[in-house]
Amino acid sequence: MNAMLILLILLVLLLTGTPISIALGMTVLTFLALFSSFSIDTVDIVSQRLFTGLESFAIMAVPFFVLSGTFLTEGGIAKRIIRFALALTGSMHGGLAIAAILACAFFATISGSSPATVVAIGSIMLPAMVKQGYPKRFAVGVITTSGSLGILIPPSIVMIIYAVSTSESAGKLFIAGIVPGILLAGLLMLVTYITARTKKFPTMPRASRQEVWASFKDAFWGLMLVVIVMGGIYGGIFTPTEAAAVSAVYAFIAAVFIYRGLTLAQVPKVLLSAANTSAMLLYIITNAILFSFLLTSEQIPQVLSQWVVDQHLSPWMFLVAVNVALLAAGQFMEPSSIILILAPLLVPIAKTMGIDPIHLGVIMTVNMEIGMIHPPVGLNLFVASHIARMGLTEVSIACLPWVVVLLAYLVLITYVPAVSLWLPNLLY
Amino acid sequence: MLCTFNRFLDRIEEWLIASFMATATLIIFIAVLHRQSAAIPWLWQYASQLNFSWAQELCIYLFIWMAKFGAAYGVRTGIHIGVDVLVNYVRPSRRRVLVSIALSLGAFFTGTIAVMGVRWVWFVYGTGQTSPDLEWPMWVIYLCIPLGSSLMCYRFLQVLTRFLRSGELPVHSLAAAEEGTA
Repeated sequence: MNAMLILLILLVLLLTGTPISIALGMTVLTFLALFSSFSIDTVDIVSQRLFTGLESFAIMAVPFFVLSGTFLTEGGIAKRIIRFALALTGSMHGGLAIAAILACAFFATISGSSPATVVAIGSIMLPAMVKQGYPKRFAVGVITTSGSLGILIPPSIVMIIYAVSTSESAGKLFIAGIVPGILLAGLLMLVTYITARTKKFPTMPRASRQEVWASFKDAFWGLMLVVIVMGGIYGGIFTPTEAAAVSAVYAFIAAVFIYRGLTLAQVPKVLLSAANTSAMLLYIITNAILFSFLLTSEQIPQVLSQWVVDQHLSPWMFLVAVNVALLAAGQFMEPSSIILILAPLLVPIAKTMGIDPIHLGVIMTVNMEIGMIHPPVGLNLFVASHIARMGLTEVSIACLPWVVVLLAYLVLITYVPAVSLWLPNLLY
Repeated sequence: MLCTFNRFLDRIEEWLIASFMATATLIIFIAVLHRQSAAIPWLWQYASQLNFSWAQELCIYLFIWMAKFGAAYGVRTGIHIGVDVLVNYVRPSRRRVLVSIALSLGAFFTGTIAVMGVRWVWFVYGTGQTSPDLEWPMWVIYLCIPLGSSLMCYRFLQVLTRFLRSGELPVHSLAAAEEGTA
């Protein structure tokens, strides 16, 4: 009953277009004020939670990765990565498009955000593909979709948020994202290759070995970041949060001193823009933590969990339901909010069904990827429509075939847990 | 007068959050370097004199302050995303009502939190609690809740009055923002 009431309040607030963070917080206040034994103590708990909810070093990986991502996007690193990817795959059928996917995958290994990947790679590759004679729709679809690799291939801001909200290990989740990430990049390339062959998209001359080597050397300092981050975390040198801080400093040095894509005078602007994004994320996180505090104190996860168990759902049916619910939520909200609200509810149920929380984390991440290239709130779509100077509707149509590819991939990830769990189980 | 005050407020807000961000990053970076220097004996000889056990705590406080003031800045840049399905669907006159409600809710919520925050800071002040590593008075650290939240409330009211007067809303396009800094 209370669960329905809370959901109803939240829904009404969301429909007015109130920012999600505010709607979550207001739901808590409204519920406490109207429907619970309201006392001044609860008020104190709320204001305390607004601070202590964030008081965790693990969460601070989010602003650090946002900062490092902003430096990478602005710093001329994407250009080098693209050149290297082109040298590797340019001569294949649909070479430019395949290189774009490869560049997105490379960029995803150093950045934790999907929209940032679309901006970094798309703003260079989109005009290039159109100029080479690719249909604009196809080009936009490829970039927008492969940009979503940003959150699947580690590091990933979405995965950190999942780890924080479910007390799982971010490091383990990162490892679990590697195989699915490579597999998805391969799948996207395969689809592109087949389309390119049948539709006779242009190819490029094969790059000389010197060019491959030269472009690799040029991109080396950018690609080193993945070695530092992943090597550092798994070598036990630092925690994921420290890795994120180191990667921010490294990205700053690479952008300003090695690649000179940024001048020192532009750094405050980068800091401000990163602070803007991360403060928004942290504000949602704070209010979502407040919201889950309300859910927990009303014992809603337990009730829900009991209800699901009473339905005698088999794990695979439960996963179908989870995916449908997540896809539906992805229609209205952006990934961090969905994960913050739903993951703490879903994980206890999954555990009673014998589903590994790490596996569920990967499923949720792939789901969020689909949400990002799907209207009405697909963040990648907004970014892509801005770069391509195309309407949101047209970008969405361009992405539609790719949504189907990702849905098929989601089925694979959901029902073959080994894809996600093989590597982490090997290492941990 | 109000105009000068607003401009001053804008600058100090931007300056604060950018420096919180930079400081937190540098502190953690230096703390990591410091710990790793233990592997190099001649360096550790000097480095071991320093103590960085407070670094994580300071980083967390800096980021919480950054988050509270950054959230206010975010209202100004329009980065706080909501569900706009209904808002975009209804006809303009109703849209105006919905947007006004949404902005007023924002102002109401942040205003309430600011008042509750003052109460909380007052309470913590009475306990004389200090932070575990830095041993700074907690009430000063908690000040970010009333300060940040009242600034955010002020920003919501600003956006609301501007919207009622001119019908304009701050629109944050991720790409536009990123291009702007390029």
